[in-house]
Amino acid sequence: MATVEPAFDVAPVKAPASPSRSRRRSILVLLVLVAVIVVLLAQGLLHSLNYFETVDQAYQTKASIGTKVIRLEGLVKPGTVVRTSVGASFEITGSKTKYYVVAHGSPPQLFRANIPVVVVGHFLSATSSTFDSNQILVKHSATYIAAHPNRVKAPNGSVR
Amino acid sequence: MKLFAQRALGPVTLVLLGLTIWLGIWVTPPDAVQGNLARLLYVHPAVATVALYISYGTATVASALYLWKRTRSMTLDRIAEAAVEVSLVFIVLTLITGSIWGRPAWGVWWVWDARLTSTAILGVLALGCLALRRANDDPVVRARRSAVFVIISAINVPIDHYSVEWWKTLHQGATVFNPGGGLKVHGSMMWTLLLSFVSFTMAFLWLLRARYRLSERQYQNTERALQAALDQRRAEVNS
Repeated sequence: MATVEPAFDVAPVKAPASPSRSRRRSILVLLVLVAVIVVLLAQGLLHSLNYFETVDQAYQTKASIGTKVIRLEGLVKPGTVVRTSVGASFEITGSKTKYYVVAHGSPPQLFRANIPVVVVGHFLSATSSTFDSNQILVKHSATYIAAHPNRVKAPNGSVR
Repeated sequence: MKLFAQRALGPVTLVLLGLTIWLGIWVTPPDAVQGNLARLLYVHPAVATVALYISYGTATVASALYLWKRTRSMTLDRIAEAAVEVSLVFIVLTLITGSIWGRPAWGVWWVWDARLTSTAILGVLALGCLALRRANDDPVVRARRSAVFVIISAINVPIDHYSVEWWKTLHQGATVFNPGGGLKVHGSMMWTLLLSFVSFTMAFLWLLRARYRLSERQYQNTERALQAALDQRRAEVNS
């Protein structure tokens, strides 16, 4: 008598519907993600979508700025930089006006005349042209030029 | 030929990265304003470009193709997963090299301007995508949700790119891919910068291939384990 093999279906079956545990975990991940992004946005973009105000913008809205702490951007005027015991003083210019900055703390390595800077601080009064700053940030350009483009290397390796 | 190209990918990448470092440190001149600080130019922009456009771009294209019924395959899902992981590595490298550059140049490690914040958000989104993948057990559901997530999160890439034009940021404008179209870099500095883009793109391809092969092996191992379990069950029934 022949033996009958029991039926055993090994055909691929359709995957079961997404279990609720996976869905709950997905929702949890998305919630955490949204919370982190909201915190980052609140910290960054929503408070300061525009990171600074230019000297010209500050000139136009000076009355409303008053003595509020702002970030002010302008070009360091050549010949005005004076290193002081507490930091530096200099003038920053826009196209319409200039302000005198008294900065506390050591300026960054790249700080020099004719470079754009962002100074963090406040005007001494609503009518004052003196800006009291506790931080200088250098805003360098996206252009890169060799320091000494005309210098060439001699065959012996020396630079002239 | 294909096998040779695959085997040569790693050594060629290492040679190109070595050449970039050699040119960047010993051959190119210092910058007129930033001096030797500008040597980060041969790392940071290329790493950021690979992170945002090449890696996340690959993940987005693979995800879109996965969602399109005519091209849907688990291979595309694995490519998207690998590209997101590599993108996260490059985003982290972008933030680290940017901070190292920012401290002496700007005077601070970090500022919450639009460029830096949107890059950090992209990193969180990439991390979120990987977390979302691990939250789903069903491979088909995982692939679909992940693809949708990657496509939605890719909206942040153009925001990140144009942030320096749309808003006032401490981060400088683009040296490459700027509105003027020209490269704002001098002589040998320009060629080294261009080489760095090639080198880091090769590094991306190398990492992507390695990560893809890893997930393929994981898939094959799972299939083998399943087959072994089925065979064992079949033997039990037949005995």
